[in-house]
Amino acid sequence: MGQFIQLVIDGLSNGSIYAVLALAIVLVNQATGMVNFAQGGMAVLAAYLTWWMTEHGLPLLLAILLSVLVSFVVGGLLERFVIRRFERGDPDTAVVVTIGLLTLITGICGWLWSYNNKQFPSLFSLHTVNIFGAAVSFRSIGTFLVIVAIMLALQALFLGTRFGLALRAVAINPDSAALSGLPVGRLLMAGWGLAAALGAVAGALVAPQLTLTPGMMDEALVYALAAVILGGLSSPIGVVLAAWMIGVLENLAAVYVDFIGHDLSVAVPFFLIFVVLIVRPQGLFGRKAVVRV
Amino acid sequence: MPLASNFFSRPWVRWAAIAIVVVAVLAVPLGFSEYTNQNLARIGVFAVAVLGLNVVMGYTGQVSLGQIFFVGVGAYVTAYGATHGWNIIVVLVASTIVPGVIGLLVALAAARLGGLAIAMVTIALPIIGVPLAKRLSDYTGGSEGVSASFSNAPGWSGLYNDQWQLYMVIVVGGAVFLLTRNLVRGKYGRAFAIVKSNEAVAASMGISPYRYKVMAFTVASLIGGVSGFLYMAVIQFTSPETMTFSHSITLLASMVIGGSASIVGSLLGGAYYVLVPQWTNSINPNLTELLQGAILLLTLFLFPGGLVTLAREITQRVRRPNRHSSGPEQQHTSAAEAVSSHGEAEQDPTVTGISTERQHKS
Repeated sequence: MGQFIQLVIDGLSNGSIYAVLALAIVLVNQATGMVNFAQGGMAVLAAYLTWWMTEHGLPLLLAILLSVLVSFVVGGLLERFVIRRFERGDPDTAVVVTIGLLTLITGICGWLWSYNNKQFPSLFSLHTVNIFGAAVSFRSIGTFLVIVAIMLALQALFLGTRFGLALRAVAINPDSAALSGLPVGRLLMAGWGLAAALGAVAGALVAPQLTLTPGMMDEALVYALAAVILGGLSSPIGVVLAAWMIGVLENLAAVYVDFIGHDLSVAVPFFLIFVVLIVRPQGLFGRKAVVRV
Repeated sequence: MPLASNFFSRPWVRWAAIAIVVVAVLAVPLGFSEYTNQNLARIGVFAVAVLGLNVVMGYTGQVSLGQIFFVGVGAYVTAYGATHGWNIIVVLVASTIVPGVIGLLVALAAARLGGLAIAMVTIALPIIGVPLAKRLSDYTGGSEGVSASFSNAPGWSGLYNDQWQLYMVIVVGGAVFLLTRNLVRGKYGRAFAIVKSNEAVAASMGISPYRYKVMAFTVASLIGGVSGFLYMAVIQFTSPETMTFSHSITLLASMVIGGSASIVGSLLGGAYYVLVPQWTNSINPNLTELLQGAILLLTLFLFPGGLVTLAREITQRVRRPNRHSSGPEQQHTSAAEAVSSHGEAEQDPTVTGISTERQHKS
């Protein structure tokens, strides 16, 4: 029983990491209708920035806040000067542009700070408490709580505020949004900026656990994309629940299903996706996209 | 221009031009160094892989992130067959059919989904493929990979190994390109195009989007299998590393850089896949990723439609002087370019595309 609870809690902790990145992807998708493969890379860049500031003597919390701020600006600028050019064009090209961005950002991190692992200071203490016979670190609990807070804030932002409504309107139909007087360009920049800021939070939460390398987020990105599809592109809560489900099921399958083991556990989320998408193509919690013909 | 197009639409002129091009291509392996030949062979291998991706993504509009998986499966089947002493034709057929069957099974489920969902199902292929290949070590050699040298030049040919391998790539790859060109130019190509632009319209015209999506995906995996066969012929070694997700992403980038929904673009994409990493590595191995990302973004900024738009522009520039001249001599001198700019003969610019790349290299 102790092992089971331990596995579930570790799974939730892993799932939380996928969840933040997945939330950033949902944010960009809701605001601009694109899927951003560079989201993980941008988070890594922010984490390096935080690490660099702490190396120069800034307290960790201040460094994180500063890098969140910088990320917001960088995200907005990227949208304006790189992504804007491809938004109206072929969606395949736009996806490849974000892939190019991912490669470029990873390259910049590797060039500036080398490809060696760096120790990143943790925001929460590493001490553990005992819950039902499972050892849970304060770091896991802290990460978990931050995710829940972000998820609720995003859900409120999209569904409860005029700003969120405007973001959604711009993503669904930029032309009509512009005709109703919305500042489309600035809203798109804000969407990307917010997602980048969220990514910076993700980077700071993940880096102590994975140690900082330019490719730190690559694996998490794949899980995050799986969570996004599984949860449905339009629902922050759904995406977080899906990410947790993936984390937990993956852990359980690795231990309890002999054939899967640790090397094939990565197949679990995709098998899940396969089954869910056949039954509910719009994802577990998403709304069906209705397209006028 | 009408005069010129009359001249080039005459059957014997076109056949002569095609014959000249074929002879020129067949002479290529004999005239270059081993290094150049191997590079050309690799470009051919990945051009075929990009072509397969183009069928499902460029022509039919279904984002596939799993194309490299089929290349890997093709390579493994080839290695298995070659080490067990099968006949080379049997190996080629098996390495095409096995990925094709897997592709068909995946497509039967995946094609029910639209848009991004199909991308997510296909993303799973390389991600599950790598640990699976390590697990099935009896067939795949596990993490160490497996090598097979079935493609050495036979004694009677009097050729070097690299020349023989390049001939294999030219013959097999050329056949695939020709067949695919005919596929996408014909009835099926038009069906793919309408499924890409609007599924509801396709359905209302009696074209089942589901069937054509499954078909495009299956064709793509068949072509991926052929690419795997050629990969094994040229590189003679494969490991789970061959089908990692990052390679799949690079393949996708190559397709868009070369030019989506274009036969010539597939060749340019293959060249991009092989040559750009080599080039950035030679500049500074530490800057490889940075330079690759920068080149990718720069290319798309300048040519959002891919490098093929550049090629088209050049052929148009070359055509223009033709328009004002009426002398038959002038038409003769620019025969190759004019044929390549001829809308119907898209097979020819593929060849011009290759030869310019070659001249850069040598």
